[in-house]
Amino acid sequence: MSAEPAASLLEARGLTRRFQGLIAVNDVSFSLRSGEILGLIGPNGAGKTTLVSLISGTLLPDAGALVFDGRRIERLAPFRRAHLGIGRTFQVMKPFPGLSVLENVTVGALFGKDGGERNRARARERARAMLDLTGLAPRLAQRADALGGPDRKRLELAKALAMQPKLLLLDEVMAGLNPVEVDEVVALIKKIREGGVSILVIEHVIKAIRSLSDRVLVLHHGQKIAEGEPASVFRDPRVVEAYLGKRRA
Amino acid sequence: MSSRWGVPLLGAALLGAVPWIGDETMMQFGIYLLLVAALAQAWNILGGFTGYASFGNSTFYGLGVYGTAIAMAQFDLPFWVGLVLGAILAMLCALLIGLPILRLRGPYFAIATLGLNAALSALVANLDIAGRNIGLILPLTRHDVLFYEGLLALLLAATLAVAWISSSRFGMGLIAIREDEDAAAVMGVDTTLYKIAALVLSSLFSALAGGIYAYYVTFIDPASAFDPKLNVQMVIMAVFGGPGTVLGPVVGAFILYSIYQALASSISTAAALFYGVVIILAVIFMPKGLVDLGWGLRRMGPRYLLETVRQYRL
Amino acid sequence: MLFAQILVNGVLLGGLYGLMALGMALVWGVLNIVNLAHGALIMLGGYAVYFLFTGAGIDPFAALPMAMTGMFCFGYLLQRLLLNLIVRSALLNTLLISFGLDVVLTYVAQWAFTADFRAINPSYAGANITLAGITVPLARLAAFAVALLLAGLLWLLLNRTRLGRAIRATAQNLVAARLYGVEPRQLYAVTFGIGAALAGAAGGLYGVVAQITPYVGTSLTAKSFVIAIIGGLDNPLSVVLGGLVIGIAESAASLYLGPTYADVISFGLLVLILVARPARSLRMA
Repeated sequence: MSAEPAASLLEARGLTRRFQGLIAVNDVSFSLRSGEILGLIGPNGAGKTTLVSLISGTLLPDAGALVFDGRRIERLAPFRRAHLGIGRTFQVMKPFPGLSVLENVTVGALFGKDGGERNRARARERARAMLDLTGLAPRLAQRADALGGPDRKRLELAKALAMQPKLLLLDEVMAGLNPVEVDEVVALIKKIREGGVSILVIEHVIKAIRSLSDRVLVLHHGQKIAEGEPASVFRDPRVVEAYLGKRRA
Repeated sequence: MSSRWGVPLLGAALLGAVPWIGDETMMQFGIYLLLVAALAQAWNILGGFTGYASFGNSTFYGLGVYGTAIAMAQFDLPFWVGLVLGAILAMLCALLIGLPILRLRGPYFAIATLGLNAALSALVANLDIAGRNIGLILPLTRHDVLFYEGLLALLLAATLAVAWISSSRFGMGLIAIREDEDAAAVMGVDTTLYKIAALVLSSLFSALAGGIYAYYVTFIDPASAFDPKLNVQMVIMAVFGGPGTVLGPVVGAFILYSIYQALASSISTAAALFYGVVIILAVIFMPKGLVDLGWGLRRMGPRYLLETVRQYRL
Repeated sequence: MLFAQILVNGVLLGGLYGLMALGMALVWGVLNIVNLAHGALIMLGGYAVYFLFTGAGIDPFAALPMAMTGMFCFGYLLQRLLLNLIVRSALLNTLLISFGLDVVLTYVAQWAFTADFRAINPSYAGANITLAGITVPLARLAAFAVALLLAGLLWLLLNRTRLGRAIRATAQNLVAARLYGVEPRQLYAVTFGIGAALAGAAGGLYGVVAQITPYVGTSLTAKSFVIAIIGGLDNPLSVVLGGLVIGIAESAASLYLGPTYADVISFGLLVLILVARPARSLRMA
């Protein structure tokens, strides 16, 4: 179980998760290569967020295996996965409401990959850098619960980035942003990838997914129905029917 | 030392001098005041920082009481041995119950700890070695100065521990748990370990306070050792002063206990009534504690009170 | 035979316990307030029935509706004027304010009614019927029946009326109340009023089977809490079931292990149940 091919950073085999009879994620296998941006799309209720939670450890799978960086991780506690280098954002955003923006991001820097930066002053410096990167620096002293929607999305991103992850799981960080802001975030995500971070991105904004993703994974009713280059995936009749077809109807 | 620590240090020095400048009544008052302040501060370590509102810290206090009492009354061991035994007993208990009980959240945790306290109290009342429900009598001493200074030292130690926590990585992890436990976990905080560590630390200070107080009162029984009302006092004092702050719980204990004593000596019958009213008003107008109130009043004046009410009312 | 007698004792006691917990579970589930003054409300209901009986000579069971009406008004005003102010505050704050309320109510009761033990003793208080060698105290049987009746009525109210649907919707989502044309502040006050009325009824019945003092509230709060947790906040009938579990466990424990173990059992059971199934959702809707 230790020697896995190094080409893929994350590999899922037969991941399955049930909720009281409902199968949210059903026998899903895929791999995410090092340095890649993998788009994860599907209609509402397709199991995208559940899949992200299985990878980050917020949920445990009923069956299947997850290999990250050559290690089996599917039973590991969330904090151990964070130490290995998996960072995520939450679709339903989870800021630390009573803390300032800077403190929020500092938590990511203090913990995060390899247990984080032990020194609080240095962690704060790293947090400031992430706030500059995400454009939140002017708000650093504000309480997180005083932020508006778009800024909360940025905060989610900054917190995950401060963990210095190898793999970043982004759950709808663009929802509710206007087109200009979407472009900004797309540019930011590309920049993050250039820094050597692999990214799994859930998004409803198809234009963004097209321009970002090296490959796309499509879930429908918890099952993988397509995987591959964006151009070919979006031509796949099953994808058109399941996802785009419904939206047009 | 910066000016930030000037006032607390001066306060501590003044408190330390009380046995030499005060009279007998003041000593009695001071000993109990220091006891509840130390307990409020111990509660703060878990409740204030992680947000896990324990109603079972009186369990650890009670174990400290009984550890000391059993060692001294049943085995004729010296006081300090009993103190250490009680502390070990309490920390073992915290370790043992921490894992299952700290998985519970919100009111479930609060009530499980309350239940634990009641169960332990009833259990002790059935143990021969603990004197069953009659209790135990410890050897009599007249070292009130020692008890006073001991409790003061304990309060200082607990406050220093909290000061360290609030500026450390450990403390930031605890606060992250309080603010959003799931988010804290995926960001790399070992939530289980951190919560248990906070509980064990909290139990240590609670048990030491119990041990000292047991020797001071010399007579103990299950009802007084595992008194849930004592626990409610810890919570109220810590929350009144400001949970999760360094000095809030101490200030809260000093103010509330002084008010209570002043009322009890002047209008003894209505003291409880006023105490209840103070709690109700405090929750309405300063739900984030005295520290936040002071900060808010300085920043926005009386409007703070209005804003606070507006924020939480339906 | 002994076992059957324990069972009967436990069931009769448990029905009353269930009624005590009903109001607490309702308020907790809908308003998200863990009301530590619930026991004090039970105590006030007990005094109301006591004085209606001794002062006006009204039979305690006939006095129940009056006491409930009074307690409803009291609860309504309490929520409307005081508790609505802090409803969206942190859980700890709602715990504390209700504790403060408990202190105040206990004090007022002690001042107004003195600390004397009071029991409601109608002429039939000591009457028993014996069935197949099992003694059934009539007053307890009647109290048990009333408890069941009220739980059933609450179930009907929640599930078969427009008001009940609004209450249940509010338990899920505050804004939902508006869909039913009910103002949330009003609905919260009505819900707390119903909880207080149920507490009042429980108090009246408690006064018939046991003794009331101003200090009885704290232990009744704890008991109600245990039962609300065991029964869940889903359904009034399961709350009563929770009461039966505790009633039977206590009467068995006090016989086989001695009365001092009754608390070990009910609180030990509480901790075990909490730890065994923490994830269960607890809502009376």
